[in-house]
Amino acid sequence: MTDASGATAMSKSISDTKGRQRLASADQRRLGFYLTLPTQILVLFIAVFPLLMQLYISMTDWTPLSGLNWTRAYELWAGFANYRDLFDDDRFFGALWRTFLIIIIAVPIEFLLGLAIAMLFMEEFPAKKVFYSALLVPMMIVPAVAGYMFFLLFQSDGPINQLLSLFTGSKVAISWLSDPDLALAVVIMADIWQWTPLMFLILLAGLLGVPNDQLKAATLLGASPWQRFVTIVLPKIKTIMIIAVAIRTIELFKIFDTLYIMTAGGPGVATETISVFIYKITTLELVWGYVAALALLILVTLSIVAALGMYLLQRNKSRASA
Amino acid sequence: MASIAFKNVTKRFGDTTAVDNVSFEIADNEFFCFFGPPLSGKSTLLRLLLGLEVPDSGEIYIDGKAVTTLQASQRNIAMVFQNLALFPHMTALDNIRFPLVERKMSETHIRQKVEDVSAKLHIEHILHKLPAHLSGGERQRVAIARALVRDPVAYLMDDPISALDARLREETRVELKRIQRDAGKTLVYVTHDQEEAMSIADRMAILENGKIRQIGTPIDIYDRPVSKYVAGMLGSPAINFFQLDDTQASGIRLAGEGLIQLDAREVPANAVQVGLRPENLAIRPDGGAGDVATARISSVEPLGGFTVVTVAPQQSKSQTVYRALLRGQHQMEVGTEVTLGYQPDQLISFDQNGLAIG
Amino acid sequence: MSEIRLEKLTKRFGDFTAIEKMDLQVRNGEFLALLGPSGCGKSTTMNIIAGMESPSEGTVYFGDRDVTRVPMGKRGVGFVFQNYAIFTHMTVRQNLEYGLRMHGLPAAQRKRKVDEIAGFLELSPLLDKPTAGLSVNILQRIAIGRSAVLEPAIFLLDEPLSNVDAAFRSVMRYELKQLQRRFRQTMVYVTHDQLEAMTMADRIAVMDQGVLQQVGTPLEVYNNPANIFVANFIGSPGMNLLKGALTSRDGRPAIAFEELDQTIELPDELARLAEKRNSAAVLYGFRPEEIELTSQNGLSMKADFLERIGARTILHLEASGREVKAVFDNNVAVQLDSMVSFRPASGSERLFDAQTGARIG
Repeated sequence: MTDASGATAMSKSISDTKGRQRLASADQRRLGFYLTLPTQILVLFIAVFPLLMQLYISMTDWTPLSGLNWTRAYELWAGFANYRDLFDDDRFFGALWRTFLIIIIAVPIEFLLGLAIAMLFMEEFPAKKVFYSALLVPMMIVPAVAGYMFFLLFQSDGPINQLLSLFTGSKVAISWLSDPDLALAVVIMADIWQWTPLMFLILLAGLLGVPNDQLKAATLLGASPWQRFVTIVLPKIKTIMIIAVAIRTIELFKIFDTLYIMTAGGPGVATETISVFIYKITTLELVWGYVAALALLILVTLSIVAALGMYLLQRNKSRASA
Repeated sequence: MASIAFKNVTKRFGDTTAVDNVSFEIADNEFFCFFGPPLSGKSTLLRLLLGLEVPDSGEIYIDGKAVTTLQASQRNIAMVFQNLALFPHMTALDNIRFPLVERKMSETHIRQKVEDVSAKLHIEHILHKLPAHLSGGERQRVAIARALVRDPVAYLMDDPISALDARLREETRVELKRIQRDAGKTLVYVTHDQEEAMSIADRMAILENGKIRQIGTPIDIYDRPVSKYVAGMLGSPAINFFQLDDTQASGIRLAGEGLIQLDAREVPANAVQVGLRPENLAIRPDGGAGDVATARISSVEPLGGFTVVTVAPQQSKSQTVYRALLRGQHQMEVGTEVTLGYQPDQLISFDQNGLAIG
Repeated sequence: MSEIRLEKLTKRFGDFTAIEKMDLQVRNGEFLALLGPSGCGKSTTMNIIAGMESPSEGTVYFGDRDVTRVPMGKRGVGFVFQNYAIFTHMTVRQNLEYGLRMHGLPAAQRKRKVDEIAGFLELSPLLDKPTAGLSVNILQRIAIGRSAVLEPAIFLLDEPLSNVDAAFRSVMRYELKQLQRRFRQTMVYVTHDQLEAMTMADRIAVMDQGVLQQVGTPLEVYNNPANIFVANFIGSPGMNLLKGALTSRDGRPAIAFEELDQTIELPDELARLAEKRNSAAVLYGFRPEEIELTSQNGLSMKADFLERIGARTILHLEASGREVKAVFDNNVAVQLDSMVSFRPASGSERLFDAQTGARIG
């Protein structure tokens, strides 16, 4: 377990580099540029080439079934038709909406749960180490396996229903995964089960980074536990909270493996998220021009969101150090 | 023959000049100390000497040979780290042997070397012990033996005892002095503690902003500082500075109020300030001769064998206070009015640039 | 009601006893230094007074009030941490008004009080600055001001000068002492530095291995240490202690130092006190600052080396592996490696029991 908060480590490394940049002479900087040039070209190629290719394909109706090599996709030129189609595609918007739904339900729950557990772990209690290890287990499990576990648990004659039968005294046979609403709930549950530990871990690192002396000082100055949390803890772990939420949001946007094994996006399209949608149209419908357009759109959207996040973080930091 | 010499060495990091045109010589077997506030360039000097930094200009000589561009491994200078860095799983003997074994020296040679250095440092009786079973002083000796066993020209220590508490520091610095005497090797030592520097160094260099301001024996620098800066760096309590009355250059002004009359012959004409060490500032409860000023006692600090008395000029609005170090124990009441005195030959005069005159 | 009283205070951590049956009274308005080497229990004692830890046994009184079970937030003590524990994400003003805000004081009153304390501590120009990058003596003043603004009757300071550069320490010692004079609180100051304790405290409580060794004014503990621990810990350097045995020379009482093969005369009163005991073995103690160089009736040892520290010179004398330190002015003339004859100044000798270490006289 690390005891330094990621935020302070990060700000330290940033100020270190700044210092060094200031010290490096112009000669050294030029030399550095030449030395990294080959790598930069390589990176540029790796990143830019697929992007350009994608842009190109997205402007066509090319599919592998067309019998043309991708380089000749221009023969099926479609202009911006794929992009126009995207905005008329209810299935696409449905998938987008479900993805957001999963995010806005799962992330806050994971966050609050993770924070609560992390705060609990700041206190001493018996068998803390055992709980600690047990808590981290879900995170270690391969997502596909976790999906399979939940798939088994929520069968209509599975353990969950058996448990419910035991409690209610009458036979319960809820078809969790075949009911559109319940299936989405199960998917969210599985994600909370698997990823709350990560939230807990990140937030615990943040809490451990809050100087104990400052907490004691606040107490001695008359702060109640709640006041202490608001005035000392919260400002100090704000950055790490943002990072934790951002990580989970981005991850959840890409949710696929757990979900696909449990429901394959079904019943119908009830749990079809963006990733599942792309997977299906790529492998089943083979409309690659359309997929390329869709992928580009997502990339641009996510980039904007990420840039916004970075901006907020930076503003936060400069305000803290101003 | 000087074992170490710097000639006009300058080291810059970007816009910052860490070491500024520095020249000095360290004699064989000398205990030489670099002393200065944080960021004054002490540690950079050590790193230049070790070969961990290359100077931008100037030359470095070790044993008469120019080593300016040689790498650390080719310089034959040893470093003793603050945490001593002894291998905890090895006995003292294996720790000391380690550098020689690494160099694949013959067993008879190693044995001879280890015997020599252990005898010198009086640690033969503890060679079989693990570091954990040694006292602090013994560990210090073993670490130094390990540094010396490969016959370096000199060994370096960078603020090695600053982490210890006050009492242990006093004892360890004496121990270090003894070790150096036993080892008979050049020791270059960095510290930010003036008492430590004065206690152990044969000679010391006082640094400010990468420049050496004065080199000499501690007592020489203490008695004859070249500038206000140097005068203020040594001594605890620190030296008192008095502003001379500029209208007549014949009195010591106590923060614009009281006046100590001076015979004009005592102070050079271009002096604007005089310094007086606390042990030379006399405090008399009665009204003394005419050449004195009055002040009020603002604190009395008994040290046991000495007493520090702090006085503030009367009716002064400024925060200036002066300190006197009196021998023995004195009962004085805070708030009492006293008169101040001094011997003329104890004054150190400074010109308007803060440089000592005479 | 700002007197502090500890009664039979004991603190155990598992098998380790950090404090053993400690009785201590800190008077109203007094500056008491809790002095001892690291691990002696001084910080634990302080933490118990502040309420950060609870004692295994014993009682803490503030005045007549038993506060042993009162949680730390409710004791109303000011506390200055070793590293000052400044709220780094707040400005100087936000730090200073923190306690007032927590107590729900309206903004106007907060401002008035903060401005007042800031003026007194010379922090006014810095009030709206962030705390990052401020120098230690400013941080220390913020830490003091942050507690002082609540006007606590009791102030606790945990080694506040240990992070400060040696050169600044004497200045900050003076500042701290001036502060206490004006605020007139009861102050408990934890330190491992005897110099700090001597120079600032009204009284010093010396601790070692969880046991209170002696309480007294600085000069009391310096002149009449209760035992060899205090004798050696107080003073810089500490008291010289030589193993000896009571004997007589020419019909007068004396002490024989077997290791040195020398004898020194003993004042009559010391001899009388020493003779009341069963054993002849004693430790003969004398202060390095109270040594006279004289060839008559003294001891003789080799001048090993000199430490010239500005106004003081410490002469290290050595014979048969025993060391004696002597402190002189910086104009002492001693030839190194020559034999030096010396004698403790009359009346400054002390005797300690060789077994218990307790002072005999």
